[in-house]
Amino acid sequence: MIQRIDVHAVLQESVSGVYADLVTRPTGRVVRERIEREMATAEGDVAIARIDFTGVGCIDYSCADEIVAKLLRHRPALLVLMGLSDGHREAIEPVLAGHRLGALVECADGTLEAVGAPEAATSLLEELVMRRLAAPTAGGTFALTLA
Amino acid sequence: MGAGGGGGGGGAGAERPLLTAPTQSEVLTYWTRAGFFREAAELFEIHGKLPRVKPAEDSDVLLPVTPVRAAEDVHAVVSNIQQRASAILASELGLDPKATMGFAMALSEACQNIVEHAGTGGWVAVQAYTWRRKLAKRVVVIAVADAGVGFRHSLEPTQSKRFGERWGDAAALEAALIQGVSRFRDPGRGQGLAGIRRYLTRWDGKIAIRSGTARIAIVPKWDDDVPLKEGLPAFPGAQVLIIIPEQGSTKR
Repeated sequence: MIQRIDVHAVLQESVSGVYADLVTRPTGRVVRERIEREMATAEGDVAIARIDFTGVGCIDYSCADEIVAKLLRHRPALLVLMGLSDGHREAIEPVLAGHRLGALVECADGTLEAVGAPEAATSLLEELVMRRLAAPTAGGTFALTLA
Repeated sequence: MGAGGGGGGGGAGAERPLLTAPTQSEVLTYWTRAGFFREAAELFEIHGKLPRVKPAEDSDVLLPVTPVRAAEDVHAVVSNIQQRASAILASELGLDPKATMGFAMALSEACQNIVEHAGTGGWVAVQAYTWRRKLAKRVVVIAVADAGVGFRHSLEPTQSKRFGERWGDAAALEAALIQGVSRFRDPGRGQGLAGIRRYLTRWDGKIAIRSGTARIAIVPKWDDDVPLKEGLPAFPGAQVLIIIPEQGSTKR
């Protein structure tokens, strides 16, 4: 089973509902802790957590570090990022590279793309394939096998 | 910005220092339009006649002088600037939407330096204007200031030993801006200024930080500023200046 975490909804619950931006380290910390709680209390056998950034405005480096880098480091589950805009990637990619962390991004067409440190992202993808959670597509890319 | 005082706090009850308003009408009008006197009135007793200027929708002041005291203020600043500045950044500076988000990131990180390191409040202002003398181009300028502890004091516990006799305001600025060190031991810290640098490199922008008796700058080709100045009059806290020029012939 795949658990979907709606980061925008978590943000709205965490700070004043009028803001759509993931900025400041305190906000990042609160959002990450809520995400970790959601993961810990998920029902059923969760194989992957989809962290969905759809609807999130700006992400700054502090939040990228506090949320994405720390979730990847603590790894409460296998994570796949989705709903990322180019602007989000601008914050997330250098932060991951700085930590030598890699992540997989699920693009709009369902294919998986590696971001951050290439070796770390490749090893994540290998793990997904080995556990049959991802498989090669006809186009030569990879996609998740679970809906 | 950042003229003395307690960093965004009011001076209620205490005797406030005097601030004489400038007499040049252009300066006076601009300071008023930028919201300077509104903030200064909490810290100073202002002498002089102030004009009544309403903030215009099409003003070059993208963000008036705005106090930053907590993370919540940074949220408000980022939200306001995105609504107000996106169109101007794209149409006047020729930045693509991706760069607009980077601008908000840079602004957020600059403001967070106050919340995380200053130990007091500060202010931020953003303005667009034509820089005729040096560039003959439009620029957007972010100015952030606080009257807090300054970079040297903030980094002293973790960095002074490493620098030894060289330790001082200039070394602290170099550590923060060039080496990306932070007073926090968490390896993810220090990303903010590094991210601002990356953004400015890409868009040919400039950053200058003044703290204590020193000032450091990353100087693009279009500017003739010096990278490091020492022995300046002591300034409590920090001033951060970020300039992003109109994109044109400059290669990214």
